[in-house]
Formats: sequence, C-alpha cells, structure tokens
Amino acid sequence: MDERDLALRNRIYAQLVELGRVPTVAETGAEPAALRRLHDEHALVLEPDGSGIRMLHPFAGVPTPYRVRAAGRNWFANCVWDAFGIPAALGVDGHVSATCLDCGEQLEVDVAGGRPEPAELAAHFLLPARRWWRDIVFT
Amino acid sequence: MARWLDEHGFEPGETLSAARACELAYAWWSDRLSPDWRPHTREQNQSILDGLGLTGPFWRLT
Repeated sequence: MDERDLALRNRIYAQLVELGRVPTVAETGAEPAALRRLHDEHALVLEPDGSGIRMLHPFAGVPTPYRVRAAGRNWFANCVWDAFGIPAALGVDGHVSATCLDCGEQLEVDVAGGRPEPAELAAHFLLPARRWWRDIVFT
Repeated sequence: MARWLDEHGFEPGETLSAARACELAYAWWSDRLSPDWRPHTREQNQSILDGLGLTGPFWRLT
C-alpha cells in the first residue's frame, strides 16, 4: 500500500469515528479506482458493484446481528470476533448484543478492560484461516 | 452447535471461549484506528495467532 492509499485509508477510518458509522462512498470523496485498490489490499471491503463500503474491519457498513455499544455510539460488527474488536479498536469498554445462531437466545456481553462478561460463552470459527479472505462476507 | 452445523451442512470449525475470542480480537484489531497503522503482513498475523496458542492447520493463514 503506497502512502497515498494509506492516507486515504486513514481518512476513511477518521470519518468512521467522526460519523459514528461507516461512511458512504460519496462521503469519502474518493475515486472509485482508489477505493478498489483499498479493497484489493484488504483495507476495506466494497459491495460487489462498488456502491458502498460493506466492511471497514472490524466495523460493518450494513446492519448485522452483531451490535456494539461503545464510545457513546451504536455500531454494527461483521461477526463476534469483530464485535469484540470494536471496543479494542476504539480503546474503550463496550457492550455487545447478539443472537445465538444455534438457539436464537439473545446474548448480552459486557467488555471491560479487554475481558468479556460472561466469559464462558462460545464463539465458533467456521472456516479455517487460509479461507477467510476467499469469501470474506461469508466468513 | 453441532445441530446448527448439521442443519446448515457445515463441517465443524473451531470453537473458542468468549474470553479467548476477545483476546484474539484485541490482539488483531487494537491498532486499527491508530494514525501509525500499517498493513499487517501475513507473518505478523500468523504471529498473533501463534502467540495466542492458536496453532495447527485450522489456524494457518496459508
């Protein structure tokens, strides 16, 4: 990633913090080709037609079952790993709300000092690491 | 979990406790908003997994 793309990437993340959500393509003010380069470098994930930013890891650009309250905002995460990653990225404590895919139970987890409570819940990683980026939306 | 995997026709992956998943998230994502952020190399990411004891074929990035 060259310095120009790195600066764009950092501006988009700064917008995320300022807006409290993933910015739209128009809000980034970036050329489509520049966003495509960031997508190809796994710095973000575009919708297939390039019309939106689907993922700005660990944040989701679309509503998901993984909701996080942190830094006075409500965020969406892409998965449970990313849900814990939002307080980590923001450097604050947080609260994760999600639905168990197995039993449908509503799950509420506080994250304080990098530790979840309750801690005994389970997180299932379906795909092996070598396949995570083969289809990152499915992952 | 086994029932859900079976219903959806998925092979089982790996299950971590929430505490361990959180530990992984903090190791993986904590630098994401830093102005000094640089892309992680595959070796750096593998080192994070290895450092948390997430070893074995499932956790290999290549």
